[in-house]
Amino acid sequence: MRMNTPNFLPISGKEISSAPGQWATRKTRTTHRRLRHTVDRLASMVVWVGGIATIISILGIFLYLMWEVIPLFRSTSGNVSSNVQVKKEMDFTSEATVIGLDEYQEVVFVLMQKQLHFLRMPQGNPVPEIGGELEISGTVQSSVLIGQKGNRLSVATQEGFVVPVTIFFQPVFEGDTRTIVPTSQIKKPIRVIPNEEELVRHAHSQQDERQMIVAQTRTGNLWLTLVEEPGDFSLSEEVIVTQRQLEVPEHVNITHMVLDGFGKRLVAGTEQGELLEWTLQNGGKEDVHRVSVGESGEAVTALTYLNGERTLVVGTQSGQVMTWVPMDERQARSMVPFRKVSTFQAHNGVVQAISPSQRDKGFLTADSDGHVILHHATTGQTIFEFEAVSSETRALRFSSKADGGAWLGADGRLRTFSIDNPHPEITFQSLFFPVTYEGYEDPQLIWQSSSGSDDFEPKFGMMPLIFGTLKGTIYAMILAVPLAVMGAVYTAMFMHPHLRAIIKPSIEIMAALPSVVLGFLAGLWFAPLLEEIFPAVVTGTLILPVVIGLVCLLWQILPRSLGGLDKYGVDLLIIVVAVMGTVGMCLAFNSSIEMIVFGGNYKQWLTDHFGLVYDQRNAIVISFAMGFAVIPIIFSIAEDSLSNVPRHLVAGSLALGATQWQTLTRLVLISASPGIFSALMIGFGRAVGETMIVLMATGNTPILDWSVFNGFRTLSANIAVEMPEAPHGGTLYRVLFLSGLILFAFTFGINTMAELIRQRLREKYSQF
Amino acid sequence: MQSFSLKKFLDSGSLFIWLCGGALSLSLLMIGGLLTLILINGMGYFWPKDLIQLTLNDGSLVLGEWVATEVIPDSESVEHPKGKKRVQLKVGNRDLYGLDFRWVDQADIVNEEYPSDVVAFERLEWGNFYGRIKEIQESETLVASGHENGMAVLFPLLERTNGIQAQIHNIEQNEIGELNHSIEQARLQLRALELSGETGVGERVMIETKVQELEALYEIQNAALIALYEKLEQFRITVVDVGGEEKTFQFGSLVKFWLPNGMGVYEKLFMYVQSFWGVLSEEPREANTEGGIFPAIFGTVLMVVIMSIAVVPFGVLAAIYLKEYAKQGLVTRMIRIAVNNLAGVPSIVFGVFGLGFFVYAVGGTLDQLFFAEALPNPTFGTGGMLWASLTLALMTVPVVIVATEEGLSAVPREYREGSLGLGATKLEALWRVVLPCAMPGILTGLILAISRATGEVAPLMLTGVVKLAPSLPLDSFFPFLHLDRKFMHLGFHIYDVGFQSPNVEAAKPMVYVTTFILVLVVILLNMAAIMIRTRMRKRYAGSSV
Repeated sequence: MRMNTPNFLPISGKEISSAPGQWATRKTRTTHRRLRHTVDRLASMVVWVGGIATIISILGIFLYLMWEVIPLFRSTSGNVSSNVQVKKEMDFTSEATVIGLDEYQEVVFVLMQKQLHFLRMPQGNPVPEIGGELEISGTVQSSVLIGQKGNRLSVATQEGFVVPVTIFFQPVFEGDTRTIVPTSQIKKPIRVIPNEEELVRHAHSQQDERQMIVAQTRTGNLWLTLVEEPGDFSLSEEVIVTQRQLEVPEHVNITHMVLDGFGKRLVAGTEQGELLEWTLQNGGKEDVHRVSVGESGEAVTALTYLNGERTLVVGTQSGQVMTWVPMDERQARSMVPFRKVSTFQAHNGVVQAISPSQRDKGFLTADSDGHVILHHATTGQTIFEFEAVSSETRALRFSSKADGGAWLGADGRLRTFSIDNPHPEITFQSLFFPVTYEGYEDPQLIWQSSSGSDDFEPKFGMMPLIFGTLKGTIYAMILAVPLAVMGAVYTAMFMHPHLRAIIKPSIEIMAALPSVVLGFLAGLWFAPLLEEIFPAVVTGTLILPVVIGLVCLLWQILPRSLGGLDKYGVDLLIIVVAVMGTVGMCLAFNSSIEMIVFGGNYKQWLTDHFGLVYDQRNAIVISFAMGFAVIPIIFSIAEDSLSNVPRHLVAGSLALGATQWQTLTRLVLISASPGIFSALMIGFGRAVGETMIVLMATGNTPILDWSVFNGFRTLSANIAVEMPEAPHGGTLYRVLFLSGLILFAFTFGINTMAELIRQRLREKYSQF
Repeated sequence: MQSFSLKKFLDSGSLFIWLCGGALSLSLLMIGGLLTLILINGMGYFWPKDLIQLTLNDGSLVLGEWVATEVIPDSESVEHPKGKKRVQLKVGNRDLYGLDFRWVDQADIVNEEYPSDVVAFERLEWGNFYGRIKEIQESETLVASGHENGMAVLFPLLERTNGIQAQIHNIEQNEIGELNHSIEQARLQLRALELSGETGVGERVMIETKVQELEALYEIQNAALIALYEKLEQFRITVVDVGGEEKTFQFGSLVKFWLPNGMGVYEKLFMYVQSFWGVLSEEPREANTEGGIFPAIFGTVLMVVIMSIAVVPFGVLAAIYLKEYAKQGLVTRMIRIAVNNLAGVPSIVFGVFGLGFFVYAVGGTLDQLFFAEALPNPTFGTGGMLWASLTLALMTVPVVIVATEEGLSAVPREYREGSLGLGATKLEALWRVVLPCAMPGILTGLILAISRATGEVAPLMLTGVVKLAPSLPLDSFFPFLHLDRKFMHLGFHIYDVGFQSPNVEAAKPMVYVTTFILVLVVILLNMAAIMIRTRMRKRYAGSSV
């Protein structure tokens, strides 16, 4: 054998050889030795540092993923950023009070009866030259917000007039400093009570050019006023005002009213602890439906819609906080207009104000002790509590970015606070367990991270994705495991070494086949093909083992002289021909099979018999495509462990008279079983993380359904689909990092286990 | 003949053995079938197919390339128990027909022939045109009309217009590209001046004058460009499709033409090679579904090269540390297992890491420190060549570590001991004796890493690959290698063209070609790795301890 001997050069002999024929002096030799040792020490330092740094940085991936995920679960923090006294001379007894603040929380406005004041926080200095008394004639009785944006107010007077007021906050930049300049705009009053009755309470909503106002009189009558202003594209200049009286059931004392932005329903809370609902869209006489919110009948003291104007938050006399949603159209016949979704942590005092967030389903509640609490409707959790200040609540407002708020007490103290709660909808519960989302009856596992509208409730249930990952993996394994393991058994035990030397590497090369290629072929070539030849595939799977059995039987009863050809791989050739023949036959008779077995149309047959719907990109396609990716891996490792079973054991067993079959089942398979197991684990790990195949060959629909005829969405494909659109640092971004972390931990764990098993196996056989 | 007993047959287990053989042969058949499929579809695309002209029973004519014949679904009847058949033709002429493909029921076909005077044109837009030449015009004068005359002048004219197009391309790419680059640089300088807060008026005026000069130059070039375009527009060809519909298009939009039915085998072979080369060397057109894949090949290669530069030193260093320097014990064993298992971590996880760490954390910081004048447009704070390469390097570093360690273990202990015994320091022994011997191992690791990186797509989708990159990451402007640029990649090209393009049917051939090239590269790389490994094992087989 030709030995390629490495070049043994004189060791670092430059200086020595530079002076040929002369011995180096002792001094140069010493310096030289020192230099060599310094270089050596330096090099080992470089190797130490470089090696350890490389290893640490590889392992650092895990830590970095953790680092990005942890903020999701960090608890909310909040603190009172200012606490100032609003003008002493104001009357803080009136309930007609609204406050609000700009998005940077720099300027707060307080509207109390006719007085509108702007305060620059955190000192609480009044903003000069703006604010003061609004030009409204009469006595202000009620003021509310229009819609959810928080800058449109509606002020109603005792005399039955409503005045819309809009507040603007304009950021002005001077160099790098930003100043918020507030302005206000007051519109023409609208008469909402046609007679001389006194107004006590009102609700106001607006959608585009259409305003809707409901006013309650001292005697308990309700008047609905509709104002339709000409739009930008409308031809007439006329403002249309229509008015009608709403029917009020007897013995009902309304405490609170809200209108939704669509003008569809009016909801009122009563002193008797009921919610009343008027459906407004059908013009004529409205039916009133009612439901009682608690057993003890305590009064409803606060009522508002959450962002999206579907879910209602109800606060009661005894401090209860609940969310209620309207019943579906189908169930409306039961006459119960709302059902309760969740109950939140109760207040000790009377719930006096509720303010919803404008970006998610969170809301603030405040009670008669000045206790402010932050809740979140999706998770049903109470997130944060501010300390009580023992003063009644006059007004409360959540800031538009949901990162702070303002509270006004009956003693004239104005508190603003900041809240650090970037991922309110994420809890362990909401990620992995069913959650009752808005618009759903029961708790559900749903993944739906984004949508077109602003008031969308993101659904971060990861279970459908984990399910999809497992479904894909399991279906792939169902195909891959028998083929790969049986193939490995044959290659390791019964194949001629020469043939084995060709077949093994060629299967191993397939492990390197890019998954994007498999995905493309699965999605664009195999999926449509399978749709056509599905009957042939089913039949082929069933009869192929039978055919092979028959061929084997035939081979056995042939004369021994032919049987001796085994050695030259003739039997494998026969099997290949048999398999090809069977597959070919099945394909050729595809339509006949469909005719005979499935009655002409297998899709119809599936629907009729099992109620299954056939999607073109389904789990069978994945099973084949991902099986392709996994077979070489399992095959290679399983074959290694089978052929590593010491030859002398096999030879001994055969020499003692055991048949090949007995040797295989009682010796080889048992000895190699840990290795085969570890091969399965590694194959499993590969299938779990496979991205491109599932991305391209499934419909990527996150559904929970084991049917082989529909698709699914895996964790990995989900990352590939949604990561490019996820804003850096947002909730979706971190949830996707969490999916990455789960994948990492899962595959790492599985591979480690497989590796440990393999190492033990290796130790075991080193004894022989 | 000996008596046969079923029980004995089952006990002997040969049934199971044969079933194992069946499983193996099924796997082999699947693999073989897959490769054949890719080979046929990938290679077949370039072969110039004959144009078939069908006469239908309503008298209309259809001209196109045969694609497939299939049984019409649900068409079994008494007289056709196996169902009627239909033929799919690629009829081209997308601007006239709207679709490139057409199904014709076989029952409707009265006559089929292969007329020799039909010409196939490959165009920059609207796909191929199949039809006959009517006339060729230069400005308003008729140069030639009819098939014979037309064919005679077509080629020289096309040569001429190609010359003009080359000039246009030169001006657009080089002259104007350079001007734009200089103007952009000047703008950035201005912005940097503003940011630094210096009130150097002189410098500012200087830059502004320079910009004005450059813009004047730009105008001159632009005028030249317009003149060339006008010149190009003068050459027009009018063709008729098989139904008699006329279509006039400029020579400028023509890529090439051929007479499919009038070509011999050698001519076809020549054109086949030419088309193959065209795909490898040209820019993509029509949302990547036509033209070439050169930028994708270039991007893939460059990314792999940068990745290799990053992965080899670190991988080898870590392997040397683990094998030669670290104390062998439980900790090293654990590290070894961990490193080994990282190779099994899904690639998309590395993509997520690359996006979060490289792009946002490192890239974002670099932008703020060094490229503040370009903000808010990110320079390194977005996906790009560098980050994609580093992500893949991180992904493949375990492969290199494992292979290098294997290579180091294969070096016989006598070599090390002999070298140390002769007075070499550890480094000298390593550098001059051990590493040269372990070289095949390192090489195997590198090749495996390259082959894995070449086919990987998922992490790239997060770290910088795009469907169409406006410019290559390597060009004539300083600093020549633009690691911040986004790039194209063969694997992503497959995903994008196959699944994101509006006309999937027309795009399929392109995808098959790309697939073929990618698979070829990956398989060749792997075979090289396997061969090196086998040779290495053989070499040390006798001497290992």
